[in-house]
Amino acid sequence: MNVAGKVAIVSGAAQGLGQAFAERLAAEGCQVLAFDINPAVQELDGVEAMVADVSQRADVERVVAAAAELGTIGVLVNNAGAWKQTPVDSAWEQALADWDEIMDTNLKGVLMLSRATVPHLQAGGGGTIINLSSYYVLPAKSDGTNPPDTDLYNASKWALNGFTDAWAKYLAKDNITVNGLAMGAVDTPMLRGLFPDGQLPAALGDVMSAADIAQQMMDLIASGRSGENVGAWVGEPVTIGEQPPLHTRITG
Amino acid sequence: MVDLAGKNAIVTGAAVGLGNSYAHALARAGVNVAVCDLREDIHDVAVALQAHGVEAVAWQGNVSDPDHVRTVVEGAREAFGSIDILINNAGVWGASVADDNLDKSLADYDLIVGTNMKGEYLFGRAVIPIMIEQGRGGEIINIATDHMVTCGTPWHVCPGTDKCPWADSPRPTGGGEIMDLYDVSKWGLNGFLYGWAKALAPHNIRVNAFCMGATDSYMLRSFHNFDPSPEEEASWMRAEDNAQALIDLLEEGPTGRNAQNINFCVGRPVKLEPPLEHVYIKPEQVEIGGAS
Repeated sequence: MNVAGKVAIVSGAAQGLGQAFAERLAAEGCQVLAFDINPAVQELDGVEAMVADVSQRADVERVVAAAAELGTIGVLVNNAGAWKQTPVDSAWEQALADWDEIMDTNLKGVLMLSRATVPHLQAGGGGTIINLSSYYVLPAKSDGTNPPDTDLYNASKWALNGFTDAWAKYLAKDNITVNGLAMGAVDTPMLRGLFPDGQLPAALGDVMSAADIAQQMMDLIASGRSGENVGAWVGEPVTIGEQPPLHTRITG
Repeated sequence: MVDLAGKNAIVTGAAVGLGNSYAHALARAGVNVAVCDLREDIHDVAVALQAHGVEAVAWQGNVSDPDHVRTVVEGAREAFGSIDILINNAGVWGASVADDNLDKSLADYDLIVGTNMKGEYLFGRAVIPIMIEQGRGGEIINIATDHMVTCGTPWHVCPGTDKCPWADSPRPTGGGEIMDLYDVSKWGLNGFLYGWAKALAPHNIRVNAFCMGATDSYMLRSFHNFDPSPEEEASWMRAEDNAQALIDLLEEGPTGRNAQNINFCVGRPVKLEPPLEHVYIKPEQVEIGGAS
Protein backbone atom coordinates (compact mmCIF):
# COMPACT_ATOMS: atom_id res chain seq x y z
CA MET A 1 0.00 0.00 0.00
CA ASN A 2 1.19 3.52 -0.83
CA VAL A 3 0.44 5.87 2.05
CA ALA A 4 1.41 9.14 0.35
CA GLY A 5 -1.43 11.64 0.38
CA LYS A 6 -3.38 9.72 3.03
CA VAL A 7 -4.19 10.89 6.53
CA ALA A 8 -2.43 8.90 9.25
CA ILE A 9 -3.52 8.80 12.89
CA VAL A 10 -0.80 8.04 15.45
CA SER A 11 -1.67 7.69 19.13
CA GLY A 12 0.87 8.31 21.87
CA ALA A 13 3.00 10.37 19.52
CA ALA A 14 4.71 12.80 21.91
CA GLN A 15 7.89 10.78 22.21
CA GLY A 16 9.64 7.52 21.52
CA LEU A 17 8.15 5.12 19.00
CA GLY A 18 5.01 7.18 18.43
CA GLN A 19 7.04 10.25 17.59
CA ALA A 20 9.22 8.22 15.21
CA PHE A 21 6.14 6.75 13.50
CA ALA A 22 4.51 10.19 13.14
CA GLU A 23 7.63 11.81 11.73
CA ARG A 24 8.29 8.95 9.33
CA LEU A 25 4.72 8.90 8.02
CA ALA A 26 4.91 12.67 7.49
CA ALA A 27 8.16 12.18 5.57
CA GLU A 28 6.37 9.60 3.41
CA GLY A 29 3.79 12.20 2.38
CA CYS A 30 1.05 11.52 4.89
CA GLN A 31 -0.93 14.19 6.61
CA VAL A 32 -0.38 13.05 10.18
CA LEU A 33 -2.79 13.56 13.04
CA ALA A 34 -0.52 12.95 16.02
CA PHE A 35 -2.00 12.94 19.49
CA ASP A 36 -0.92 12.25 23.02
CA ILE A 37 -1.99 12.94 26.57
CA ASN A 38 1.43 14.59 26.88
CA PRO A 39 1.31 18.22 25.63
CA ALA A 40 4.84 17.79 24.25
CA VAL A 41 3.17 16.30 21.17
CA GLN A 42 2.53 19.90 20.09
CA GLU A 43 6.25 20.40 19.58
CA LEU A 44 6.42 17.92 16.69
CA ASP A 45 7.13 19.49 13.29
CA GLY A 46 5.13 18.77 10.18
CA VAL A 47 2.13 17.14 11.84
CA GLU A 48 -1.29 18.16 13.09
CA ALA A 49 -0.99 17.69 16.84
CA MET A 50 -3.71 17.28 19.43
CA VAL A 51 -3.62 16.77 23.17
CA ALA A 52 -6.04 13.91 23.74
CA ASP A 53 -6.44 10.79 25.89
CA VAL A 54 -7.05 7.54 23.98
CA SER A 55 -8.83 6.10 27.02
CA GLN A 56 -11.54 8.77 26.82
CA ARG A 57 -14.31 8.24 24.27
CA ALA A 58 -14.96 11.95 23.72
CA ASP A 59 -11.27 12.54 23.02
CA VAL A 60 -11.14 9.62 20.59
CA GLU A 61 -14.15 10.89 18.67
CA ARG A 62 -12.66 14.39 18.58
CA VAL A 63 -9.37 13.04 17.19
CA VAL A 64 -10.98 10.97 14.44
CA ALA A 65 -13.27 13.84 13.43
CA ALA A 66 -10.26 16.15 13.17
CA ALA A 67 -8.36 13.58 11.12
CA ALA A 68 -11.29 13.22 8.73
CA GLU A 69 -11.22 16.99 8.22
CA LEU A 70 -7.65 16.67 6.92
CA GLY A 71 -8.54 14.27 4.10
CA THR A 72 -8.91 10.55 3.48
CA ILE A 73 -7.81 8.50 6.47
CA GLY A 74 -5.63 5.59 5.33
CA VAL A 75 -3.37 4.74 8.27
CA LEU A 76 -4.00 4.06 11.96
CA VAL A 77 -1.12 3.36 14.32
CA ASN A 78 -2.36 2.16 17.72
CA ASN A 79 0.80 3.09 19.58
CA ALA A 80 -0.31 4.69 22.86
CA GLY A 81 0.43 2.41 25.77
CA ALA A 82 0.57 2.45 29.55
CA TRP A 83 3.18 0.42 31.41
CA LYS A 84 3.58 -0.29 35.07
CA GLN A 85 4.60 -3.13 37.32
CA THR A 86 1.65 -4.84 38.96
CA PRO A 87 2.66 -7.37 41.67
CA VAL A 88 0.31 -10.35 41.86
CA ASP A 89 -0.19 -9.95 45.61
CA SER A 90 -0.92 -6.23 45.63
CA ALA A 91 -3.75 -4.86 47.74
CA TRP A 92 -7.26 -5.24 46.32
CA GLU A 93 -7.93 -1.55 45.70
CA GLN A 94 -4.55 -1.31 43.95
CA ALA A 95 -5.38 -4.32 41.76
CA LEU A 96 -8.62 -2.65 40.68
CA ALA A 97 -6.91 0.66 39.92
CA ASP A 98 -4.13 -1.11 37.99
CA TRP A 99 -6.68 -2.85 35.74
CA ASP A 100 -8.22 0.49 34.80
CA GLU A 101 -4.89 2.21 34.31
CA ILE A 102 -3.47 -0.44 31.97
CA MET A 103 -6.55 -1.73 30.17
CA ASP A 104 -8.32 1.59 29.58
CA THR A 105 -5.37 2.74 27.48
CA ASN A 106 -3.84 -0.45 26.06
CA LEU A 107 -7.03 -2.36 25.24
CA LYS A 108 -10.16 -0.21 25.49
CA GLY A 109 -8.25 2.67 23.90
CA VAL A 110 -7.28 0.51 20.92
CA LEU A 111 -10.87 -0.69 20.64
CA MET A 112 -12.36 2.81 20.68
CA LEU A 113 -9.85 4.44 18.34
CA SER A 114 -10.06 1.56 15.87
CA ARG A 115 -13.84 1.30 15.89
CA ALA A 116 -14.06 5.06 15.30
CA THR A 117 -11.50 4.93 12.47
CA VAL A 118 -12.47 1.75 10.59
CA PRO A 119 -15.56 3.24 8.87
CA HIS A 120 -13.33 5.98 7.47
CA LEU A 121 -10.81 3.44 6.16
CA GLN A 122 -13.66 1.50 4.54
CA ALA A 123 -15.14 4.64 2.98
CA GLY A 124 -11.72 5.67 1.70
CA GLY A 125 -11.22 2.46 -0.21
CA GLY A 126 -8.79 0.75 2.14
CA GLY A 127 -5.92 1.33 4.50
CA THR A 128 -3.79 -0.20 7.18
CA ILE A 129 -3.86 -0.63 10.96
CA ILE A 130 -0.77 -1.26 13.07
CA ASN A 131 -1.14 -2.48 16.67
CA LEU A 132 1.91 -1.97 18.86
CA SER A 133 2.56 -5.08 20.92
CA SER A 134 5.35 -6.65 22.90
CA TYR A 135 7.69 -9.47 21.97
CA TYR A 136 6.48 -11.29 25.06
CA VAL A 137 3.51 -12.41 22.93
CA LEU A 138 6.03 -14.46 20.96
CA PRO A 139 7.33 -16.51 23.89
CA ALA A 140 9.07 -19.13 21.79
CA LYS A 141 11.32 -16.29 20.72
CA SER A 142 11.37 -14.13 23.84
CA ASP A 143 12.16 -17.32 25.77
CA GLY A 144 10.20 -16.54 28.90
CA THR A 145 12.37 -13.62 29.90
CA ASN A 146 9.43 -11.35 30.63
CA PRO A 147 10.04 -9.10 33.63
CA PRO A 148 8.33 -9.86 36.93
CA ASP A 149 5.09 -8.18 37.96
CA THR A 150 3.84 -7.52 34.43
CA ASP A 151 0.70 -9.62 34.33
CA LEU A 152 -1.62 -6.80 33.31
CA TYR A 153 0.70 -5.21 30.77
CA ASN A 154 1.36 -8.55 29.12
CA ALA A 155 -2.33 -9.47 29.23
CA SER A 156 -3.14 -6.22 27.44
CA LYS A 157 -0.63 -7.02 24.70
CA TRP A 158 -1.59 -10.68 24.38
CA ALA A 159 -5.19 -9.51 24.03
CA LEU A 160 -4.32 -7.45 20.96
CA ASN A 161 -3.72 -10.73 19.11
CA GLY A 162 -7.50 -11.11 19.06
CA PHE A 163 -7.91 -7.77 17.30
CA THR A 164 -5.05 -8.28 14.85
CA ASP A 165 -6.24 -11.75 13.86
CA ALA A 166 -9.97 -11.00 13.64
CA TRP A 167 -9.64 -7.63 11.94
CA ALA A 168 -7.20 -8.93 9.32
CA LYS A 169 -9.76 -11.57 8.35
CA TYR A 170 -12.86 -9.37 8.57
CA LEU A 171 -11.42 -6.28 6.87
CA ALA A 172 -9.67 -8.05 3.98
CA LYS A 173 -12.84 -7.45 1.93
CA ASP A 174 -12.34 -3.72 2.45
CA ASN A 175 -8.70 -3.71 1.30
CA ILE A 176 -7.54 -3.01 4.86
CA THR A 177 -4.44 -4.73 6.26
CA VAL A 178 -3.93 -5.23 10.00
CA ASN A 179 -0.69 -6.23 11.71
CA GLY A 180 1.04 -6.18 15.06
CA LEU A 181 4.55 -5.00 15.78
CA ALA A 182 5.86 -7.14 18.64
CA MET A 183 8.63 -5.04 20.08
CA GLY A 184 11.67 -5.98 22.06
CA ALA A 185 13.71 -3.31 23.82
CA VAL A 186 13.74 -0.04 21.86
CA ASP A 187 15.63 3.00 23.11
CA THR A 188 12.71 5.20 24.14
CA PRO A 189 11.86 7.40 27.11
CA MET A 190 9.44 4.64 28.23
CA LEU A 191 12.26 2.08 28.38
CA ARG A 192 14.74 4.46 29.99
CA GLY A 193 12.12 5.40 32.56
CA LEU A 194 12.30 1.85 33.92
CA PHE A 195 15.87 2.26 35.10
CA PRO A 196 17.57 4.54 37.64
CA ASP A 197 18.75 7.80 36.07
CA GLY A 198 17.47 6.57 32.70
CA GLN A 199 20.60 4.47 32.19
CA LEU A 200 20.02 1.27 30.21
CA PRO A 201 21.80 -1.74 31.79
CA ALA A 202 24.42 -3.52 29.70
CA ALA A 203 22.42 -6.75 30.06
CA LEU A 204 19.84 -5.37 27.65
CA GLY A 205 22.41 -5.43 24.84
CA ASP A 206 22.33 -2.95 21.98
CA VAL A 207 18.70 -1.91 22.13
CA MET A 208 16.99 -1.00 18.87
CA SER A 209 16.29 2.51 17.63
CA ALA A 210 12.81 3.91 17.08
CA ALA A 211 13.83 4.95 13.56
CA ASP A 212 14.63 1.30 12.72
CA ILE A 213 11.21 0.23 13.94
CA ALA A 214 9.58 2.99 11.88
CA GLN A 215 11.37 1.58 8.82
CA GLN A 216 10.10 -1.88 9.69
CA MET A 217 6.57 -0.51 9.95
CA MET A 218 6.81 1.15 6.53
CA ASP A 219 8.14 -2.07 5.00
CA LEU A 220 5.28 -4.01 6.56
CA ILE A 221 2.67 -1.57 5.24
CA ALA A 222 4.24 -1.58 1.77
CA SER A 223 4.30 -5.39 1.69
CA GLY A 224 0.52 -5.69 1.72
CA ARG A 225 0.82 -8.53 4.23
CA SER A 226 -1.91 -8.82 6.87
CA GLY A 227 -2.72 -10.71 10.05
CA GLU A 228 0.83 -10.99 11.35
CA ASN A 229 2.74 -10.23 14.49
CA VAL A 230 6.09 -9.03 13.20
CA GLY A 231 8.76 -9.17 15.86
CA ALA A 232 11.88 -7.14 16.50
CA TRP A 233 14.55 -8.52 18.79
CA VAL A 234 17.69 -7.01 20.22
CA GLY A 235 20.72 -8.49 18.51
CA GLU A 236 18.96 -9.36 15.27
CA PRO A 237 18.37 -7.30 12.11
CA VAL A 238 15.16 -5.28 12.26
CA THR A 239 13.33 -6.50 9.16
CA ILE A 240 9.94 -7.93 8.27
CA GLY A 241 11.60 -11.06 6.90
CA GLU A 242 9.88 -13.59 4.68
CA GLN A 243 6.17 -14.06 5.19
CA PRO A 244 5.79 -16.94 7.66
CA PRO A 245 3.44 -19.91 7.14
CA LEU A 246 -0.20 -19.16 7.88
CA HIS A 247 -0.28 -21.06 11.15
CA THR A 248 2.57 -19.02 12.67
CA ARG A 249 1.57 -15.52 11.59
CA ILE A 250 0.02 -14.57 14.91
CA THR A 251 1.78 -16.94 17.28
CA GLY A 252 5.32 -16.56 15.90
CA MET B 1 -0.63 -38.59 42.86
CA VAL B 2 -2.20 -36.02 45.14
CA ASP B 3 -5.38 -36.98 47.01
CA LEU B 4 -7.88 -34.19 46.42
CA ALA B 5 -10.30 -35.22 49.16
CA GLY B 6 -10.76 -32.52 51.77
CA LYS B 7 -9.41 -29.72 49.60
CA ASN B 8 -11.45 -26.59 48.96
CA ALA B 9 -12.26 -25.14 45.55
CA ILE B 10 -13.99 -22.23 43.87
CA VAL B 11 -15.61 -22.79 40.46
CA THR B 12 -16.97 -19.74 38.65
CA GLY B 13 -19.81 -20.01 36.16
CA ALA B 14 -20.88 -23.38 37.57
CA ALA B 15 -24.61 -23.39 36.84
CA VAL B 16 -24.35 -25.05 33.43
CA GLY B 17 -21.90 -26.46 30.92
CA LEU B 18 -18.23 -27.03 31.64
CA GLY B 19 -18.31 -25.21 34.98
CA ASN B 20 -21.10 -27.44 36.22
CA SER B 21 -19.20 -30.55 35.12
CA TYR B 22 -16.02 -29.31 36.82
CA ALA B 23 -17.89 -28.65 40.07
CA HIS B 24 -19.46 -32.12 40.11
CA ALA B 25 -16.16 -33.83 39.25
CA LEU B 26 -14.45 -32.00 42.11
CA ALA B 27 -17.25 -32.90 44.54
CA ARG B 28 -17.08 -36.56 43.49
CA ALA B 29 -13.34 -36.40 44.29
CA GLY B 30 -14.20 -35.20 47.81
CA VAL B 31 -13.47 -31.51 47.26
CA ASN B 32 -15.63 -28.92 49.00
CA VAL B 33 -16.87 -26.53 46.33
CA ALA B 34 -17.90 -22.88 46.33
CA VAL B 35 -19.74 -21.92 43.17
CA CYS B 36 -21.04 -18.74 41.62
CA ASP B 37 -23.00 -17.84 38.51
CA LEU B 38 -25.22 -15.15 37.03
CA ARG B 39 -28.08 -17.66 37.13
CA GLU B 40 -30.33 -17.85 40.12
CA ASP B 41 -30.38 -21.66 39.98
CA ILE B 42 -26.76 -21.71 41.13
CA HIS B 43 -28.23 -22.27 44.60
CA ASP B 44 -29.77 -25.52 43.36
CA VAL B 45 -26.31 -26.51 42.09
CA ALA B 46 -24.92 -26.20 45.62
CA VAL B 47 -27.62 -28.57 46.88
CA ALA B 48 -26.82 -31.05 44.10
CA LEU B 49 -23.13 -30.88 44.95
CA GLN B 50 -23.80 -31.61 48.60
CA ALA B 51 -25.30 -34.94 47.50
CA HIS B 52 -21.72 -36.07 46.81
CA GLY B 53 -21.07 -35.78 50.56
CA VAL B 54 -19.05 -32.58 50.48
CA GLU B 55 -19.70 -29.04 51.64
CA ALA B 56 -20.95 -26.68 48.94
CA VAL B 57 -21.90 -23.00 49.00
CA ALA B 58 -23.19 -20.74 46.25
CA TRP B 59 -23.50 -17.09 45.34
CA GLN B 60 -25.39 -15.50 42.48
CA GLY B 61 -23.59 -12.61 40.85
CA ASN B 62 -21.41 -11.21 38.09
CA VAL B 63 -17.70 -12.07 38.03
CA SER B 64 -16.87 -8.65 36.57
CA ASP B 65 -18.22 -7.04 39.74
CA PRO B 66 -15.35 -6.68 42.24
CA ASP B 67 -17.70 -6.75 45.22
CA HIS B 68 -19.21 -10.05 44.07
CA VAL B 69 -15.74 -11.53 43.64
CA ARG B 70 -14.74 -10.51 47.16
CA THR B 71 -18.00 -11.89 48.52
CA VAL B 72 -17.39 -15.30 46.93
CA VAL B 73 -13.72 -15.53 47.86
CA GLU B 74 -14.14 -14.33 51.44
CA GLY B 75 -17.28 -16.44 51.79
CA ALA B 76 -15.52 -19.57 50.56
CA ARG B 77 -12.63 -19.04 52.95
CA GLU B 78 -15.03 -18.49 55.82
CA ALA B 79 -17.06 -21.59 54.93
CA PHE B 80 -14.14 -23.95 54.31
CA GLY B 81 -11.23 -22.39 56.23
CA SER B 82 -8.95 -22.24 53.18
CA ILE B 83 -8.91 -22.08 49.38
CA ASP B 84 -6.77 -24.59 47.50
CA ILE B 85 -8.18 -24.59 43.98
CA LEU B 86 -9.57 -21.84 41.73
CA ILE B 87 -11.30 -22.81 38.48
CA ASN B 88 -11.70 -19.57 36.51
CA ASN B 89 -14.43 -20.83 34.21
CA ALA B 90 -17.14 -18.16 33.90
CA GLY B 91 -17.36 -16.88 30.37
CA VAL B 92 -19.71 -15.39 27.81
CA TRP B 93 -19.80 -15.42 24.05
CA GLY B 94 -20.98 -12.60 21.82
CA ALA B 95 -20.58 -11.51 18.22
CA SER B 96 -18.55 -8.38 17.57
CA VAL B 97 -16.84 -7.09 14.42
CA ALA B 98 -14.36 -4.39 13.43
CA ASP B 99 -16.99 -1.98 12.11
CA ASP B 100 -19.49 -2.18 14.95
CA ASN B 101 -20.48 1.23 16.28
CA LEU B 102 -18.94 2.60 19.47
CA ASP B 103 -22.05 2.22 21.64
CA LYS B 104 -22.34 -1.49 20.85
CA SER B 105 -18.60 -1.99 21.11
CA LEU B 106 -18.32 -0.47 24.57
CA ALA B 107 -21.26 -2.55 25.79
CA ASP B 108 -19.62 -5.65 24.27
CA TYR B 109 -16.33 -4.74 25.92
CA ASP B 110 -17.93 -4.48 29.34
CA LEU B 111 -19.77 -7.80 28.88
CA ILE B 112 -17.21 -9.96 27.09
CA VAL B 113 -13.86 -8.59 28.27
CA GLY B 114 -15.44 -7.81 31.65
CA THR B 115 -16.58 -11.39 32.18
CA ASN B 116 -13.94 -13.46 30.41
CA MET B 117 -10.82 -11.46 31.18
CA LYS B 118 -11.49 -9.06 34.04
CA GLY B 119 -13.48 -11.73 35.87
CA GLU B 120 -10.54 -14.13 35.78
CA TYR B 121 -8.16 -11.34 36.79
CA LEU B 122 -10.33 -10.36 39.75
CA PHE B 123 -10.77 -13.92 41.03
CA GLY B 124 -7.06 -14.60 40.59
CA ARG B 125 -6.00 -11.44 42.35
CA ALA B 126 -8.48 -12.06 45.19
CA VAL B 127 -7.36 -15.65 45.73
CA ILE B 128 -3.60 -15.32 45.22
CA PRO B 129 -2.81 -13.40 48.45
CA ILE B 130 -4.87 -15.96 50.37
CA MET B 131 -3.05 -18.92 48.80
CA ILE B 132 0.33 -17.30 49.51
CA GLU B 133 -0.64 -16.58 53.12
CA GLN B 134 -1.87 -20.15 53.64
CA GLY B 135 1.52 -21.50 52.60
CA ARG B 136 0.07 -24.81 51.39
CA GLY B 137 0.38 -24.32 47.65
CA GLY B 138 -2.54 -24.13 45.31
CA GLU B 139 -3.97 -24.62 41.84
CA ILE B 140 -5.36 -22.04 39.43
CA ILE B 141 -6.93 -23.17 36.16
CA ASN B 142 -8.08 -20.58 33.63
CA ILE B 143 -10.51 -21.68 30.94
CA ALA B 144 -9.58 -20.33 27.51
CA THR B 145 -10.27 -21.31 23.91
CA ASP B 146 -8.73 -23.27 21.07
CA HIS B 147 -9.00 -20.08 19.00
CA MET B 148 -5.53 -19.33 20.37
CA VAL B 149 -4.18 -22.67 19.18
CA THR B 150 -2.65 -23.34 15.82
CA CYS B 151 -2.33 -27.12 15.83
CA GLY B 152 -2.81 -29.68 18.58
CA THR B 153 0.04 -28.01 20.41
CA PRO B 154 0.05 -24.24 20.75
CA TRP B 155 2.68 -23.17 18.27
CA HIS B 156 4.23 -20.60 20.57
CA VAL B 157 5.23 -23.24 23.09
CA CYS B 158 5.88 -25.97 20.55
CA PRO B 159 9.35 -27.45 21.04
CA GLY B 160 9.78 -27.67 17.28
CA THR B 161 8.29 -29.47 14.35
CA ASP B 162 10.64 -32.41 14.73
CA LYS B 163 9.21 -33.12 18.19
CA CYS B 164 5.67 -31.85 17.79
CA PRO B 165 3.22 -34.75 17.81
CA TRP B 166 0.83 -32.88 15.52
CA ALA B 167 3.37 -31.23 13.23
CA ASP B 168 1.63 -32.73 10.23
CA SER B 169 -1.60 -30.92 10.99
CA PRO B 170 -0.77 -27.24 11.44
CA ARG B 171 -3.68 -24.88 10.99
CA PRO B 172 -4.23 -21.17 11.39
CA THR B 173 -5.43 -19.88 14.73
CA GLY B 174 -9.11 -20.67 14.99
CA GLY B 175 -10.16 -17.16 15.87
CA GLY B 176 -13.35 -15.89 14.37
CA GLU B 177 -13.61 -12.66 12.42
CA ILE B 178 -17.07 -12.18 13.91
CA MET B 179 -15.91 -12.43 17.52
CA ASP B 180 -12.95 -10.10 17.92
CA LEU B 181 -13.69 -9.19 21.55
CA TYR B 182 -14.20 -12.83 22.55
CA ASP B 183 -10.81 -13.70 21.10
CA VAL B 184 -9.27 -10.62 22.73
CA SER B 185 -10.64 -11.71 26.09
CA LYS B 186 -9.16 -15.21 25.76
CA TRP B 187 -5.79 -14.26 24.27
CA GLY B 188 -5.40 -11.82 27.17
CA LEU B 189 -5.50 -14.70 29.64
CA ASN B 190 -2.00 -15.67 28.54
CA GLY B 191 -0.71 -12.62 30.38
CA PHE B 192 -2.20 -13.96 33.61
CA LEU B 193 -1.17 -17.57 32.89
CA TYR B 194 2.50 -16.78 32.43
CA GLY B 195 2.73 -13.87 34.85
CA TRP B 196 1.05 -15.69 37.71
CA ALA B 197 2.81 -19.00 37.11
CA LYS B 198 6.16 -17.29 37.23
CA ALA B 199 5.40 -15.28 40.36
CA LEU B 200 3.71 -18.14 42.22
CA ALA B 201 5.99 -21.08 41.45
CA PRO B 202 8.10 -20.33 44.58
CA HIS B 203 4.87 -20.71 46.60
CA ASN B 204 4.05 -24.12 45.08
CA ILE B 205 1.05 -22.60 43.36
CA ARG B 206 0.55 -23.86 39.80
CA VAL B 207 -1.26 -21.96 37.07
CA ASN B 208 -2.44 -23.71 33.91
CA ALA B 209 -5.13 -23.13 31.30
CA PHE B 210 -7.52 -25.33 29.34
CA CYS B 211 -7.91 -24.18 25.74
CA MET B 212 -11.29 -25.62 24.89
CA GLY B 213 -12.48 -26.62 21.47
CA ALA B 214 -16.15 -27.25 20.75
CA THR B 215 -17.62 -28.92 23.82
CA ASP B 216 -21.30 -29.72 24.34
CA SER B 217 -22.41 -26.88 26.61
CA TYR B 218 -24.99 -24.16 26.95
CA MET B 219 -22.59 -21.67 25.37
CA LEU B 220 -21.94 -23.80 22.30
CA ARG B 221 -25.62 -24.63 21.87
CA SER B 222 -26.47 -20.93 22.06
CA PHE B 223 -23.88 -20.29 19.33
CA HIS B 224 -25.82 -22.72 17.15
CA ASN B 225 -29.19 -21.15 18.09
CA PHE B 226 -29.98 -24.33 20.06
CA ASP B 227 -30.49 -26.18 16.78
CA PRO B 228 -27.20 -27.79 15.79
CA SER B 229 -27.04 -30.21 12.90
CA PRO B 230 -26.72 -33.86 13.99
CA GLU B 231 -23.26 -34.00 12.38
CA GLU B 232 -22.16 -30.91 14.28
CA GLU B 233 -23.51 -32.20 17.56
CA ALA B 234 -21.84 -35.58 17.06
CA SER B 235 -18.44 -33.92 16.67
CA TRP B 236 -18.56 -32.10 19.99
CA MET B 237 -16.48 -33.12 22.98
CA ARG B 238 -18.23 -34.05 26.21
CA ALA B 239 -17.88 -31.81 29.26
CA GLU B 240 -17.72 -34.85 31.57
CA ASP B 241 -14.60 -36.11 29.78
CA ASN B 242 -12.97 -32.72 30.07
CA ALA B 243 -13.81 -32.58 33.79
CA GLN B 244 -11.94 -35.87 34.24
CA ALA B 245 -8.91 -34.27 32.56
CA LEU B 246 -9.20 -31.45 35.10
CA ILE B 247 -9.10 -33.95 37.97
CA ASP B 248 -6.09 -35.67 36.37
CA LEU B 249 -4.32 -32.31 36.15
CA LEU B 250 -5.04 -31.42 39.78
CA GLU B 251 -3.84 -34.85 40.93
CA GLU B 252 -0.41 -34.09 39.44
CA GLY B 253 0.10 -31.78 42.40
CA PRO B 254 2.78 -29.12 42.86
CA THR B 255 5.45 -31.04 40.92
CA GLY B 256 3.26 -31.30 37.84
CA ARG B 257 3.23 -29.16 34.74
CA ASN B 258 3.03 -25.40 35.14
CA ALA B 259 2.30 -22.37 32.94
CA GLN B 260 0.89 -24.49 30.13
CA ASN B 261 -2.00 -24.01 27.76
CA ILE B 262 -3.52 -27.49 27.61
CA ASN B 263 -5.50 -28.02 24.44
CA PHE B 264 -8.64 -29.96 23.80
CA CYS B 265 -9.36 -30.00 20.10
CA VAL B 266 -12.25 -31.68 18.34
CA GLY B 267 -11.15 -34.90 16.72
CA ARG B 268 -8.56 -35.78 19.36
CA PRO B 269 -9.00 -37.81 22.54
CA VAL B 270 -10.39 -35.75 25.42
CA LYS B 271 -7.74 -36.63 27.98
CA LEU B 272 -4.74 -35.08 29.64
CA GLU B 273 -1.80 -35.49 27.29
CA PRO B 274 1.75 -35.69 28.68
CA PRO B 275 3.18 -32.25 29.48
CA LEU B 276 5.19 -30.40 26.88
CA GLU B 277 8.92 -30.24 27.41
CA HIS B 278 8.99 -26.53 26.81
CA VAL B 279 8.18 -24.53 29.93
CA TYR B 280 7.61 -20.89 29.27
CA ILE B 281 8.59 -19.57 32.66
CA LYS B 282 12.28 -19.33 33.30
CA PRO B 283 14.20 -17.84 36.21
CA GLU B 284 16.35 -15.66 33.96
CA GLN B 285 14.79 -12.29 33.43
CA VAL B 286 15.75 -8.68 33.11
CA GLU B 287 15.54 -7.01 36.50
CA ILE B 288 13.85 -3.65 36.45
CA GLY B 289 14.85 -0.96 38.87
CA GLY B 290 13.47 2.47 39.57
CA ALA B 291 10.14 1.78 37.93
CA SER B 292 7.27 3.96 38.98
